[in-house]
Amino acid sequence: MHPATPPTTNAPVGRNHRTPLPRRRLLRGLLAVTVAAPLMFGAAACGDDDGGAADPNAPVKLSIFWWGGDARAKLTEDALALYTSKHPNVTFEKTWQANQGYFDKLATLTAGGNPPDLFQIDDNFLAEYAARNTTLDLTSYQKSGKLDTSKFPESLWQYGVVDGKLVGLAAGENTQGLVYNKTLLTKNNLPEPTTGMTWEQHIAWAEEVSKKTGVPGTQDPSADYKALWVWLRQQGKDLYKGSELGFTAEDVTKWFELWKGARDRKATPTADVIHEGNATDITKQLVVTGKAGTSWVWANQMPDLKKNTKDELGVIAYPGDPSAQWARASMYWSVFKGSKNKDVAVDVINFLNNDLEAVKLLGTDRGLPSNQDLRRVVSDDTTDPAMKQSLAVEAELTQKFGPSPQVPIKGHSKVRSELTKAAENAQYGRATPAQAAAQFIEACKAAIA
Amino acid sequence: MALTTAPDPTRPDPGSVRVHAERRGPGRFRDSEGLAGYVFLSPWLIGLMGITAIPMLLSLYLSFTNYDILTPFSEVEWVGLANYERMFTADPSYWHSVRVTLTFALIAVPLKLAAALGVALLLNRAWRGVGLFRGLFYLPSLLGGSVALAIVWVNMFNRDGAFNSLLSLVGIQGKPWVNDPDWALETLMVLAIWQFGAPMVIFLAGLKQVPTELYEAASVDGAGRFRQFRNVTLPMLSPVIFFNLVLETINGFQGFTAAFVLSNGLGGPVDSTLMYTLNLYITGFTDLEMGYASAMAWVFLLAIAVITAIFFSTGRFWVHYSDGEDR
Repeated sequence: MHPATPPTTNAPVGRNHRTPLPRRRLLRGLLAVTVAAPLMFGAAACGDDDGGAADPNAPVKLSIFWWGGDARAKLTEDALALYTSKHPNVTFEKTWQANQGYFDKLATLTAGGNPPDLFQIDDNFLAEYAARNTTLDLTSYQKSGKLDTSKFPESLWQYGVVDGKLVGLAAGENTQGLVYNKTLLTKNNLPEPTTGMTWEQHIAWAEEVSKKTGVPGTQDPSADYKALWVWLRQQGKDLYKGSELGFTAEDVTKWFELWKGARDRKATPTADVIHEGNATDITKQLVVTGKAGTSWVWANQMPDLKKNTKDELGVIAYPGDPSAQWARASMYWSVFKGSKNKDVAVDVINFLNNDLEAVKLLGTDRGLPSNQDLRRVVSDDTTDPAMKQSLAVEAELTQKFGPSPQVPIKGHSKVRSELTKAAENAQYGRATPAQAAAQFIEACKAAIA
Repeated sequence: MALTTAPDPTRPDPGSVRVHAERRGPGRFRDSEGLAGYVFLSPWLIGLMGITAIPMLLSLYLSFTNYDILTPFSEVEWVGLANYERMFTADPSYWHSVRVTLTFALIAVPLKLAAALGVALLLNRAWRGVGLFRGLFYLPSLLGGSVALAIVWVNMFNRDGAFNSLLSLVGIQGKPWVNDPDWALETLMVLAIWQFGAPMVIFLAGLKQVPTELYEAASVDGAGRFRQFRNVTLPMLSPVIFFNLVLETINGFQGFTAAFVLSNGLGGPVDSTLMYTLNLYITGFTDLEMGYASAMAWVFLLAIAVITAIFFSTGRFWVHYSDGEDR
């Protein structure tokens, strides 16, 4: 290599006093533009905002983000196109993707200061986002009737209330559902499980299924927060009370012991198969992979489960008193607090939930329609047998539902993964139920602190 | 505006340029070449600043805060060393992930290098079709950290996967490898070792550089195959071994994709595959503790730097450069 020669040392005098000057000026100019541009665009954007408030027909581009598959994307795009046809000044910037990675992206977008105006969210993260003031409080819209919840079951819209603010509106209703393999049972002359069986009865039934068919009767749900939750509510406890846990180590010990008993009686598969089924992916649920007679899922997942198996499936409530279950928001629509088009975003949510045509288009893809009048219409219209079935079950259970619990608190997703870890520790025999429960409580306390 | 009102500086007097060019041909040429160089470099430079240097410094700052990714920067609270303190004293899952990662790196990296060297020695001969084999052995590395490969791996090594079917042919009852907390990490190690193609190719290149005279001289002195390997090949190859060792160790510590896919992003069963980077990712994106995750990232960076420095300092004792300048 040549030693680098500083360009100025032997540059001719003439150049020396000419070139640096424009270069410096150029740089200064560039800098000025760089600094000024965002200010200008920002100012322009602000102006837009003011104009939007004054003129309801000013063009609005609303960004919207959801998770789901192709089918949901198609339905949602159709419903949004319908909105645009009724409000030609509103167009949408649609983004969607699979569940995996959705919340990473949403968090990153939020961190970058450009979250979507309107986004889908679930109760894992609703409190997290609400606690950080990311979501718009919809209460005033609800009061003024711009967001109509009058046809919603009260417990359903209330399930979107965090700290006294309505931060998300249920995009659909669902509830806990125990899905079982009908074909397997009929083939072996076994009775179908029924809503209202006790937990003991369920396990005894599952043991019978294992013995007769060689297929373990039930997936072990000890790692499943929603099963634990229903069970806790049946004991007069809850998952959360205010910002605290609603249960103790003794409760969890009992819960783990219940399922240790079931495993010992071979009513459930072995730990490794249970672990496979613990994956959230619908295609790995043991009832569709043929590795267990039942899976603990959400009732509105029936059509999806049905796609993954040739066997006929049935769905009932979780064991025990079904009044421990509740009308749950399968997912919510929330509006970003800093959105420039809040009013339009709220109107779109209202449209997606309360417009007959839109609700018909969306069907039960995000759960049963929240608007009960429209739910009836959709229910009469549907032809998909799996969908019909989950509608019927939900209709039957709705009568028995109890009040909604509070929305899970900040740290809930960590609590869920800690439950999986503790339950698997017990399943693989690495800890006794009591040890696993103690470990779980400790981890929970750290997670929600 | 300022740019246009200023006396036009962009058009220097053509005459003087020519004079200068004639007077100082090479210097002038080198100068404009330098500018062109910077212009061509600029995408990379902007990338370095924009997506590496600035974010890194920002993450250093965030590691001293309680940043949770959803809160705006302006509301972030300075917490001093609290994140680092928690990591070292109050987070058992942190230390668990350190153990998992060290176990992984300590076992997988040496075995991978041994496999790479062994196969490179075999493929260094000039037999027919050797090119095909080189390609085939390199293939798994090309697939690298791909998600598809990890999915294939999961399906090969679960209870009713292809691997257990093979075992059952010889009468061995397999295990649910990827779903068994005692074996899940080992299965990942096998995947990592199997992808030995990249270091193998580098070893092959290194082997080609060993002068044949040395082997001739050694065999004249009566050295057998093994002695030749130990006293000629290994020392001559030591710079390449060193290079591969450093690179693969860093790679080993950063193992993420396979563990992520295999455990559905959770590090299970029972945290057996909770690699450091996976733990970092979960902390940042699922638990929304980006400040704490940044602290973890910086400790990770320092740890890798220290380990690399240790390699370099021990290198003096076993890495030989053929020009005799053992540093």
